[in-house]
Amino acid sequence: MDPVIIAAVLSSALRQSTPISLGALSGLFCERSGVINIGIEGMMLMAAFTGFVASAVTGNIFLAILVAVLTGMLMALFHGWLSIQFKVDQIISGTVINILAVGLTGYFYTRNLTTQGKLEPIALPGLSQIPIIGRVLFDNPPITYLALVLVFVAHFVLFHTRWGLRLRAVGEHPRAADTLGINVIWMRYANVVIGGALAGLAGAFLTLEAVGSFERGMTNGRGFISLAVMIFGKWTPLGAWAGALLFGFTNALQTQLQFSGLGSVIPHQFVGMLPYLLTIIVLAGFVGRARPPAAVGQPYTKE
Amino acid sequence: MSKFTIKLLSGLAAAALILAACAPAATPAPTAVPFRVGVVTDVGEVDDKSFNQSAWEGAQQGAAAVGGTAEYIETKDAKDYGANIAEFADKGYDVIITVGFALGQATTEAAKKYPNVKFIGVDQFQGESVANLSGLIFHEDHSGYLAGVLAAKMTKTGTIAAVLGTDLVPPVVAFKEGYEAGAKATKPDIKIISTYHPGGLDVAFTDPEWGATTAAQAVDQGADVVFGAGGKTGNGALIEVASRDGLLCIGVDSDQWETVPEAHSCLISSAMKLITPGVVDLIKLAKDGQFPAGNYFGDAALAPFHDFDSQVPADVKTLIEDTAKGLKDGTIKTGYGE
Repeated sequence: MDPVIIAAVLSSALRQSTPISLGALSGLFCERSGVINIGIEGMMLMAAFTGFVASAVTGNIFLAILVAVLTGMLMALFHGWLSIQFKVDQIISGTVINILAVGLTGYFYTRNLTTQGKLEPIALPGLSQIPIIGRVLFDNPPITYLALVLVFVAHFVLFHTRWGLRLRAVGEHPRAADTLGINVIWMRYANVVIGGALAGLAGAFLTLEAVGSFERGMTNGRGFISLAVMIFGKWTPLGAWAGALLFGFTNALQTQLQFSGLGSVIPHQFVGMLPYLLTIIVLAGFVGRARPPAAVGQPYTKE
Repeated sequence: MSKFTIKLLSGLAAAALILAACAPAATPAPTAVPFRVGVVTDVGEVDDKSFNQSAWEGAQQGAAAVGGTAEYIETKDAKDYGANIAEFADKGYDVIITVGFALGQATTEAAKKYPNVKFIGVDQFQGESVANLSGLIFHEDHSGYLAGVLAAKMTKTGTIAAVLGTDLVPPVVAFKEGYEAGAKATKPDIKIISTYHPGGLDVAFTDPEWGATTAAQAVDQGADVVFGAGGKTGNGALIEVASRDGLLCIGVDSDQWETVPEAHSCLISSAMKLITPGVVDLIKLAKDGQFPAGNYFGDAALAPFHDFDSQVPADVKTLIEDTAKGLKDGTIKTGYGE
């Protein structure tokens, strides 16, 4: 196969996996601490919007990223406030966030705003010269690099630090964690807000790095796919990342199959099923039973 | 508060409500009614620099040409299509223009309910003919063909691409087929890589990131002219192409030089549907009592080259003009729908 095409497909795969991977990490930090977050979609959308507005108004993309991340954190704080403080059903709280984001961004969006460009790819000297891999991995814009690094950071934090141990403890057995002197409420708040920051970064990726513009409802279900990918990866960062890459790859593949003219032979809807079909096959054949954190979805009440 | 006061207050409130409800009916009908044109937009603003705005400009020009007036209602929710149309119809407007494929059903229903009102359905193909309803539709394959000719003449790599909305919407298919036919007729050995969005109607036109990443995938394998035809999805493709040097992109529907300023560095032209003149023509025909039932074809053409005007060679401009004439008089066929 033509190396140019391989590189094109793989870089498209990586690009499509980036928001999913960030969204899945967002879900991980929330759910590992015991809080379901189906509001990732809404957090992404809201952050994509505020980041876009900040970029259009100030012209400073890095400030805009900060605004997007802060937006995600604020939305997450709201989610925590509802579900941790007031023990509102976490699904309801997440749904509220999704609906709120669609409504607010739709209402405030005016099409006369335009951004001053988007984040440019940075070719890493030397590394980007490697055939295929160099083009795919080492010639990317900043949030893509950051997302790759964050997968490993999240893995390290979750499984090799004291914070990670406590985080998992409050998600598995909050009462036991509490008796050992861990502040369950605080741990949950903190990790939900970290999750919000990651969802915010995913939103920033969409408007400030990938598209360079905002559109109503532009997340198009990426937050929900993130959740699926998180479950696919059995609530681990590396597993989720693999899931995100698989999703990105199958999407890029179906585009490539259409490019190759196969669309005129097989209806392209069949090719369009590929990402989902492959996911089911992998999920059923290789992944096996996934076990969520034991205390996920249950509000904690101190006795 | 005594029971009596409560009764009195509620009685007053009820009376006020009834009065308020009756008030508009009490207004006497104006004696000399001018020719009135109403526009019901699709969800979105009337100044959307796209379909809604083009139709509204057509309504204003058309109304002015026949000595009438024009008003518009911006639809906020797809559920309100019928109610917004009735708003104009109940006031006895002469012509009501509904904008977009999505209003098709509501428009047909209204046309049957209000036989004395003339309806213009922009982008609404008429399967069965209703006497007072005209669907303003376009030969998208013609403007797609012209875009294909332009792309084939301008490409340096010999590879061109199309990033499209869904084939569930016939005009998108027409744009694609026309584009490919035009490119192949101009340069038989050209490589065309094109993709439809794999999703349904709900996402296919509002997924700019898919458009952008797909355009990137096409550009990475050598495409240097990209046709983005699929609403916001296509716009994502245009902006992506603009972020890279030395590439060209072609927009769709309206002159996207006006709608996607982020794409100025690559946007050589757009494959347009000329909604404004089509609406003007239909309003004049309605005034003259020659309103055409069924489908009415508006013009499809290429947008100006704007900043790229000096880069398009004179012979290419001539070729495009000749091709446009040939398409119009039928000497050139696009092969779409035959």
